[in-house]
Amino acid sequence: MPTIVDIAVQTEGFSTLVAAVQAAGLVEVLQSGGPFTVFAPTDDAFAKLPPGTVQTLVQNPPQLGRILKYHVVSGKYTQADLKGLKSLTSVEGSVIPLDLSDAFEVKNATVVMPDVEADNGVIHVIDNVILMG
Amino acid sequence: MTTTLQTPPTLIPPSRHPHADIIHRLEAGGSMLPDTPENLMQIIGIYKAYAVPMDFYWRDLLYIAEQVFLDPFPFFKYFISQEYLDRPNHYAGDTADLRIWRGRASAHPELLEFMEKGELKKKLPKLLHHLWHDRVNMEFAEECMRAMLWHRHMYAPVNQFDAYLDSDEYKQNADRAIRAYFKKNPVMLGLYKLFPDMFLEKVRELSYYSNLGLFWEVMAPVFFEMSDIYDEGGFKGVPDAMNFLVNGIFAIAGRPIYHHAYIDGECYEIIPKSKGFTWLYEAALPYVEAVFYRTSPFRGTKSYNAQANQVPADQKDFHYGILYADVFPVGTAGIPPTLLMQDMLHFLPPYLVEYYHQHCRGEDDMLVQLGITFQRSMYNVTSAVIQALRTALLYPLDDPNPKHRMANRKFFEAQMDRFLRPEARLRDIQSPDYR
Repeated sequence: MPTIVDIAVQTEGFSTLVAAVQAAGLVEVLQSGGPFTVFAPTDDAFAKLPPGTVQTLVQNPPQLGRILKYHVVSGKYTQADLKGLKSLTSVEGSVIPLDLSDAFEVKNATVVMPDVEADNGVIHVIDNVILMG
Repeated sequence: MTTTLQTPPTLIPPSRHPHADIIHRLEAGGSMLPDTPENLMQIIGIYKAYAVPMDFYWRDLLYIAEQVFLDPFPFFKYFISQEYLDRPNHYAGDTADLRIWRGRASAHPELLEFMEKGELKKKLPKLLHHLWHDRVNMEFAEECMRAMLWHRHMYAPVNQFDAYLDSDEYKQNADRAIRAYFKKNPVMLGLYKLFPDMFLEKVRELSYYSNLGLFWEVMAPVFFEMSDIYDEGGFKGVPDAMNFLVNGIFAIAGRPIYHHAYIDGECYEIIPKSKGFTWLYEAALPYVEAVFYRTSPFRGTKSYNAQANQVPADQKDFHYGILYADVFPVGTAGIPPTLLMQDMLHFLPPYLVEYYHQHCRGEDDMLVQLGITFQRSMYNVTSAVIQALRTALLYPLDDPNPKHRMANRKFFEAQMDRFLRPEARLRDIQSPDYR
C-alpha cells in the first residue's frame, strides 16, 4: 500500500499541500514514520486563505512546518474511532476540537472524504485549512 | 473573507447581549466603529501619524535587542545607528519579502527630517535635541514592551514564545551570548557568576524588545499603505479599512519571530527562527492583549495602595489599555499615553490638523482630540483582530449552517463581554460628539 505522501502526490487536488510539505521538509517524516492521522486540506481550502498567507509561510519553512504539524495526529484514527471523541492533540501540540454529531467536523473544517487508507496511517480530506488557537 | 452583507442574518434569533447592536454590525461584516466618512477620515489620518514614530520604534527596538544588548550603561540606546535607519523593512520597498507599502524600505523621510531638525526646526547636534527633549518618545515603545514582558502566559499554550523563555535551551543560548558580550569585562562576568538570574531576566526583556520590534516592522508599512490608499480614494468606508487590516494580518501571520544578538560582528541566535514562532501567535495576539486591553494602571488615575484595592490582584483583570483609557487627562502628569500622543502630533496629515482646529479648543487641546481619534482607530484595529480570529477559527459570515452562525455569535458575544465593564469606551465611540 502507498504511504500518506504517495497518496497526496498521486491524487489530484493536493498540489498546494504537497508543495507545502516539501517546502517544510516534512516528506521524510510522513513517508517513513507513523502511524499518523492526517487532516489534508485540498487546493481549494488553501485558495480560501487571503493572498500572501501561503507566500509568507513558504518563505519560512519552520513556521509553515508548524501549521502543517497541526494537521497531523500521532496514531491511526478512522471516522469510526473518532465517534464520541471531543478532541485530539496534534503533533504541533495544540488541541483539535472534533464534532461528529451531525457531519464529520474538525475545528471549523468539514471532512469531505473520510478514511482514505494509507500504509502508515489514514487521511481525512478537509475543506478548510485549520489553525491553532 | 469578511464581506459586507446586504441583509441582516435571519438564520438565528437576534442577540440579547447589551452590545447586541454592535454584535449585529460585526455579523454583517462591519467594525465596532460606526461606518461614517468622518470616522474613516479620522482613523486613517491617525494611522499615518502613528506610523511615522512607529517606523522609529521598531528600528530602535531591534537596535537595542541586537546591538546595545546588555550594555550596563546604555546612555545612547535611543541614538540609533545609520545602519538601522537604512535597514530595509521586510514589507516595504523593492526588496520586500511581501510588499505591503509601495513606498521605500528605509526610514520614512518625515521621520528623518524630524530627527534632524525636531520641533525647533533647527539643525542641531543629536545630543542637544535629545537633552531639550525634542525627539521621538522611545520610552513609550519600551513601556509597551514591558507590558508584554510582565503579562506573562498570554494566549498560552498556543503562544509558545513566553514558555520558551523559561526553557533550558533558552537559558543556554542566553548564557552563551552573555559570556561572549562580557568576555573582556571581568567585573561583569564576576557579577554574572554571582547573580546569573539578574542577567538572564535582562536578556528575556531584550527578547521582548525584539518581539515588539518585529511586530511593529509589519504595522508601520500597513498603516502607510492605508494612508496612501485613502489619499487615492480607495476606501469606501470603515469596513474597507478594517478588511485591509484583516488581510494584512493573514498575509503576515507566518513571519518568524526571533531574537538575534550581534556581538563583535558575530550573530548569537538566542531565539532561532527555526523554533517556528510566528508573528500572529507569538507577537500580534499577545501584543493586543497586553497593550490594547491590559497594560498597567496609570500612576495618575489609580492608587497602587494595597489596602485601597483599586488595582486588581489578578493580571487578567487589568483593564488599562487604550480600549478603556480615559483620554481627557492626556498631557497631565501620570498619564503614559501622553508620550505617544506627543509623538503623533508632529506627523498629523493637514486634513486632520484642520479638523481639530474646528472642534473643542482648536489647537489648544489637540493632544486630547487626537488621543480620542487614536482610541477610535484602535477600536477599528481590534475589530480587525476579532474578525481575523473569527475567519481563522470559526466560520464565514454568510455560512448557511445555523449551528455555525451560532458559533460565530457566541464568539462575538464573548469578545463584547470584555467591554461590559464601565471603563470601556465602546459606547462612547459610537457617538461623533465624543471628542
